[in-house]
Amino acid sequence: MLNNKPMYRTGLLLLLMLVSVNALAHGVDDNTRNFLQQNTGVQFIPFLYIGAKHMLTGYDHLLFLVGVIFFLYKSRDVLLYVTMFTIGHSITLLWGVLGNIQVNAYLIDAIIGLSVVYKGFDNLGGFKRVLGWQPSTRWAVLIFGLFHGFGLATKLQEFQLPDEGLLTNLLAFNIGVEFGQFAALAFILIAINFWRRLPSFERFATLTNTFLMSAGLMLMAYQLTGFTLQ
Amino acid sequence: MEQSVSLTTLIKASVAAILLAGVAFVSFILPAEYNIDPTGFGQKLGLTVLAQSAEAAPIAPQSKTNSVVSKSNSVVSKTNCAASKTNSLASENVIEITVPANQGIEYKLQMNQHDKLTYEWMTDGDPLYFDLHGEPEGDTTGYFESYAIATLGTMKGSFIAPFDGSHGWYWKNTSAKAVAIQLIVNGHYQIIGLKP
Repeated sequence: MLNNKPMYRTGLLLLLMLVSVNALAHGVDDNTRNFLQQNTGVQFIPFLYIGAKHMLTGYDHLLFLVGVIFFLYKSRDVLLYVTMFTIGHSITLLWGVLGNIQVNAYLIDAIIGLSVVYKGFDNLGGFKRVLGWQPSTRWAVLIFGLFHGFGLATKLQEFQLPDEGLLTNLLAFNIGVEFGQFAALAFILIAINFWRRLPSFERFATLTNTFLMSAGLMLMAYQLTGFTLQ
Repeated sequence: MEQSVSLTTLIKASVAAILLAGVAFVSFILPAEYNIDPTGFGQKLGLTVLAQSAEAAPIAPQSKTNSVVSKSNSVVSKTNCAASKTNSLASENVIEITVPANQGIEYKLQMNQHDKLTYEWMTDGDPLYFDLHGEPEGDTTGYFESYAIATLGTMKGSFIAPFDGSHGWYWKNTSAKAVAIQLIVNGHYQIIGLKP
């Protein structure tokens, strides 16, 4: 296995590049907008697709997921945490759109940035160190999941979706989000599991989580500036 | 499960994260996204161009939901921005718009006063009620001036913008099925796109 080290590295690098190239933007592109504004009635597959695409190209969601599964070794744990996250964002996505709850998109996105900072800090054992105890990681994932769901809901609400077939469309979107999440997780898990076998994983674990925090802070600053300038 | 680093490492990591984020935010993100350039670094790198062109491509007031339905794509629209900035080149776009059944939509272009637009549009069948009009920039009273109102399946014409602002069509589809419109515009303008 040691002989394959460079190969693993290259593989990892390629995977990471793939992820970063795909993670272009968080917003909704023009074609999608066009569709969302003009659609009528039930459009199951298109909404499924948009949901999956949104998750796969949303780097803030992806960063959070990287943070969440960074130190999860057992597939049972991965499944458990991802389920918590899914429950969280499904609730608020449906509730937000159906209840027509208006939340400021910038603030929600800033909180999503905060979730990344939180997870990076948490991964470093920061809370145990500073507070003396470990806040429940499961609850944290669930609660931030709720905010991620509101983020998805605000994006969709910008389009004044027609009431006709709304629930079905939303469910399709939500299922799409799960598909996208699983696809993204597959890449992230493969990459991290490869990396975990190498000594560099431990060596760079601190650095990686520092970068995670930093990226989260950048997202927060970016969104809060947008909030003050709007 | 988590790694537990020493307090010193934790502080170092946190400070490093904040510093890195701060530097990247001030020197790259602010200039590129918002055209705010406290260090002047963004200007040097040419990053502010990004935010400036985003500003130049007009976003309709208090709405982020406008879209460009242009089939001729964003690349062309971007060259439009450059073209109208320098005010030398006229540009042409072919735009396809669908008016959903029993709905009205508005498609607008941003134009400066005295800029000329030549246009031609046709539906895929049924005639539509339309109102070609302009709204002055910065107006909050809801005032608009109509240049033409009729119910037609196709129309060709031109106008010279009487003021700076958004100019374009309101189409109303009273039938039970969606109607597609092909719109060809030529002149000095920037696409705003659909208004909900």
